[in-house]
Amino acid sequence: MTSSIFMHPATMFIIGALLLPLAKKFNVQKVWLVLVPLVAFIQIKYLPESFGSVEWLGFDLQFGRVDRLTMVFLHVFTLMALIGSLFGLHVKESGQHVAAWLYVAGSLGTTLAGDYLTVFIFWELMAFASVFLIWYRKRKRSIEAGFRYLLVHTFGGLVLLGGIFLRYQNVGDLTFELISVDHATLADYLIMIGFMLNAAVPPIHAWLPDAYPEATVSGAVFMCAFTTKTAVYVLARGFAGFETLAIMGAIMTLYGVAYAVIENDARRILAYHIVSQVGYMVCAVGIGTEMAINGASAHAYAHILYKALLFMGIGSVLEMTGRSKLSELGGLYKYMPYSMIFTVIGGIAISGFPLTSGFISKSMIIAAAGNNHQLVILSMLLLAAVGTFLSVGIKLPYFVFFGPKDSGLTPDEAPWNMQVAMGIAAFMCIFLGFYPDYLYDMLPYAVHYHPYTSYHLTETFHLLGFTGLGFFIMVKYLKPHDVSNLDLDWFYRRGAVWFMWVANKPVSATNEWVSNVYQNIGLRLTMALARALSWFDWEGIDWALDGSARGAVKGGEQVRQFQTGKLQHYIGAAVALLFIVLIVVVLV
Amino acid sequence: MIVNFLTYLRERPTFLKWLFIAYLAFAVVFDFFADRHHAHFWGDHLVGFWAVFGLVGCLAMIVFCKGLSHVWLERDKDHYDK
Repeated sequence: MTSSIFMHPATMFIIGALLLPLAKKFNVQKVWLVLVPLVAFIQIKYLPESFGSVEWLGFDLQFGRVDRLTMVFLHVFTLMALIGSLFGLHVKESGQHVAAWLYVAGSLGTTLAGDYLTVFIFWELMAFASVFLIWYRKRKRSIEAGFRYLLVHTFGGLVLLGGIFLRYQNVGDLTFELISVDHATLADYLIMIGFMLNAAVPPIHAWLPDAYPEATVSGAVFMCAFTTKTAVYVLARGFAGFETLAIMGAIMTLYGVAYAVIENDARRILAYHIVSQVGYMVCAVGIGTEMAINGASAHAYAHILYKALLFMGIGSVLEMTGRSKLSELGGLYKYMPYSMIFTVIGGIAISGFPLTSGFISKSMIIAAAGNNHQLVILSMLLLAAVGTFLSVGIKLPYFVFFGPKDSGLTPDEAPWNMQVAMGIAAFMCIFLGFYPDYLYDMLPYAVHYHPYTSYHLTETFHLLGFTGLGFFIMVKYLKPHDVSNLDLDWFYRRGAVWFMWVANKPVSATNEWVSNVYQNIGLRLTMALARALSWFDWEGIDWALDGSARGAVKGGEQVRQFQTGKLQHYIGAAVALLFIVLIVVVLV
Repeated sequence: MIVNFLTYLRERPTFLKWLFIAYLAFAVVFDFFADRHHAHFWGDHLVGFWAVFGLVGCLAMIVFCKGLSHVWLERDKDHYDK
């Protein structure tokens, strides 16, 4: 069903964002914050299959291309925009909401784009809008992290743009379609690297756990949903079936979860765990079968909701207590029971408990790997599932809300809007677990997979139960310490220090020396040369012509004497002239 | 109400422990009756394979990651500010 009246969802969010200050002025900011995402969410069903084709400078741009793959992502992105806006409803600064919505617009625009140039435009909008969600935290660390985030994404954007240019030179066409593995060239791999940077594939992942924990409370909720999942979408669209992605994805799942086990800051644990979860999707894209692409889409859908739920739960704790480190928290279940329940629902959903969304989405990817006989990848994914339950399913809620020690904090429960937002996300996590067909019917290909088989159940019972036993045995070794762990951002964070040293010491010293030499020798030489040239011009050339330059100087000097620069003299002269003219006119 | 209930449970760790052990026992028993027609590889045919995988994987992961953190990765929290 399509209607003739519709608006590009990205346009809707951009206009919504631009009108937000106006809505604030008329005291309807909260209404506006709910209304725009709600209308966008309802409207996506009525989008035509193709729209917004523009020819510009000889390029065919397509702003709207809708198929089933696009639809799953649009559905969850607009739903998430609604949940995120609800969660941040109490934030008075319009700027944060504007940044969040422009970021959402970038993500929706990328998802709908039918050509690489449009992808690139919205891709950059995403990076530049989201950095404000970090800067709005207004702490020194956030500002620094924001700059690093921006630099890394600018680099990724340039790699992507380079790939797009090369591809245009090779193929002469910028349509964004599936690239075949056998005919992929350097251009395609550059585009893929640009996409992979946003999907946080190691070794270019460190921007994510560096930046997300420094974002604002509601900013992090938006960020955890859009950047990486948009990257999963573009990878699924363009690079399905690239085996590199399957291997990198499987490594990602373990890399992220390993850091989630050792980190102390709750939001950093969740950020690392995004790397792990997106690994499942990247891996599925790499496997590339119909079932795997279904799995990637389903997992992206489910993951956005439960990861946002976890970020919201921990965000409420941060909002109410000002703390997010496990070593400084504990015993909060007494004061924030609803936030605790929602966080635990997010935790069990991400671990794939039966009757939650994780159970019906993650397993699809694992089954796709199994059907493809990729046993190493299969076991890596299952090991990551063990780590997921260990780090986010048990460790996180345990040390924040229960814990061996009570933190002594007595915060209030989170504001109502945060609880409503968490409630919606939690409802979706469980609803999808009970009624998987709601999600399965949206997927790009027909689904022939049934999650609730006795074998899948027993496998899950065992994995989760005995991981729990492992936690129980080792709980005292998992006690969080207030430290940070090195990651690959070391290269550019330390590298930047060295670069600054080189710039400050040798380069600056050389520069100073050169400028001294220039001042003492070069400048005098130049001045002497200028004087010589001036003399030659004055005496030689003017003499050789007719002395007109000297005449002009002399004439100018005489004229200058008349011009006193005093206004009354000029007015007097003008009046006198007027009289003379009048006399002449009257008398003659 | 929820808070009181949870506090009540937390004051009875032995009960929780037995509840957990009962669950593990149930999981193992359930495994004998599971239908294994869609097995992906040899491990899927062994009863309790995923129990061992989960436990060993979990312990190995804790030892490996925590160990790596202690001997190599761990730094002060303002490491880069110095």
